[in-house]
Amino acid sequence: MLSEKALAERFGEVVLPHLGDALALARWLTGNAADAEDVVQEACVKAHAGIAGYAGGNARAWLLTIVRNTAYTWMSRNRPRGMLAVGDLGDLDEMAAAHGTSQPDEDGPEASLIARADTAALEAAIVALPQPFRETLVLRDINGLSYREIAAMLSVPMGTVMSRLARARGLLVSELGRAP
Amino acid sequence: MTNHDDGLPNDPEGIRLMIHALVDGELDAAAALAVERRIAADPQLAAEHARIVALQAAVNRLPRPDVSDAFQARIAAIGMAATAQQAQDKPAEPRQGTPPAQPGLIAPIGGSARRNAETRPSQARVLPRTRRFGSFDWRALAASIVVSAVLASGVTQWVMVNSASDSFAAAVASGHRRSLLAASPIDIVSSDRHTVKPWLDARIGVSPPAPDLAQDGYALIGGRVEVIADRPVPALVYRHREHLITLVAEPQQGGGTTAPDDLSSGGFSLVHWSDGAFSYWAISDMERPELDDFVAHFRKAAV
Repeated sequence: MLSEKALAERFGEVVLPHLGDALALARWLTGNAADAEDVVQEACVKAHAGIAGYAGGNARAWLLTIVRNTAYTWMSRNRPRGMLAVGDLGDLDEMAAAHGTSQPDEDGPEASLIARADTAALEAAIVALPQPFRETLVLRDINGLSYREIAAMLSVPMGTVMSRLARARGLLVSELGRAP
Repeated sequence: MTNHDDGLPNDPEGIRLMIHALVDGELDAAAALAVERRIAADPQLAAEHARIVALQAAVNRLPRPDVSDAFQARIAAIGMAATAQQAQDKPAEPRQGTPPAQPGLIAPIGGSARRNAETRPSQARVLPRTRRFGSFDWRALAASIVVSAVLASGVTQWVMVNSASDSFAAAVASGHRRSLLAASPIDIVSSDRHTVKPWLDARIGVSPPAPDLAQDGYALIGGRVEVIADRPVPALVYRHREHLITLVAEPQQGGGTTAPDDLSSGGFSLVHWSDGAFSYWAISDMERPELDDFVAHFRKAAV
């Protein structure tokens, strides 16, 4: 058993370096920066309580798992109506599988159009994504987790991570491509 | 689309997922080369690839939330202040809501994460990066796509009909069945326990005893990571003649020792026991007496 001093030091090494990532994830899950700070603070209290269980490895993925779970608990407590029913997740994946992950190739916009997309349009498009797609995109493209880490965090097969990610990107691409 | 001989998926959907995996750096060199050749030969795939790259770059440019000094200090204070009162006031485990968090039990997910370029330079990375194991065989990727499709079609039915209280056992069984469907039942192929143990340790920070029981007829052939009840847990794979045995070792926190318990069902033999440090689940399609024999040898060697 580690001493309390050692646990406090470990908290400083494991949690504090990843606050930026934690805030970014919470911001996209909750939708705004102020709620994100509340969620991350609550998550850090839980992380502190559980720090003895952290046994090395990817500290960022460990912390983000706690942040994600805390964000959903927090949202179910603070805005019950905003939550997506769990049963919808499977439907979304089936939908993604049945209809392909993105638009037909010939209809895709030019890459240069996407590269020029302005920040506000891109942020609005991400906010508009269905939650499982948004969450997967943020964990990959903003938090930089690997497919395997995301699959472990969400408890879904890796193929589901891949199809959700492709679907999320397909939706963003077609949304940005529609802009004038 | 013409048929290719490079082993990549030939359906448009499959190849598209492979392009995403290429952009995400998830392919090994051989698979990346094969995908790049497809892209070079097909303008539509090239356009899709360019779109994904452009989108990822645009997402990367999005402003990130600032970690204000005040917020950083507030969080740092949790580490200091809470330590003082932790003894009498241990925060409760978060239980309500969707997926249970169980922070104390979440094993870290191993490997290090590669980051895209130009992420927050302001953020100090205190921990050293460990080697990344994520660059896996594309065959595993392809298999994973197939497996998720198969799972959706009722292979898990056996799991569903078991009682909820045996859900951990059901998850172990489901993992074993899944592994039999996958292209390879193991993520790390090695008969050398000195390879398997560090691999598991690096990925999830846990490494159970992994004795090689080859002289007893049970050869250690590798390991993999199972995700059960939201937690990654180590699994060892042994072979006995034509049968595979999956041994899941769930770390215990101060648990007791229990004798082997028969939980067999649905055509699989499943035995559960604990040694105080780990809670073990051995599953196989072998007959029960044979699995008992394996368990006896393992318990003797793992002491």
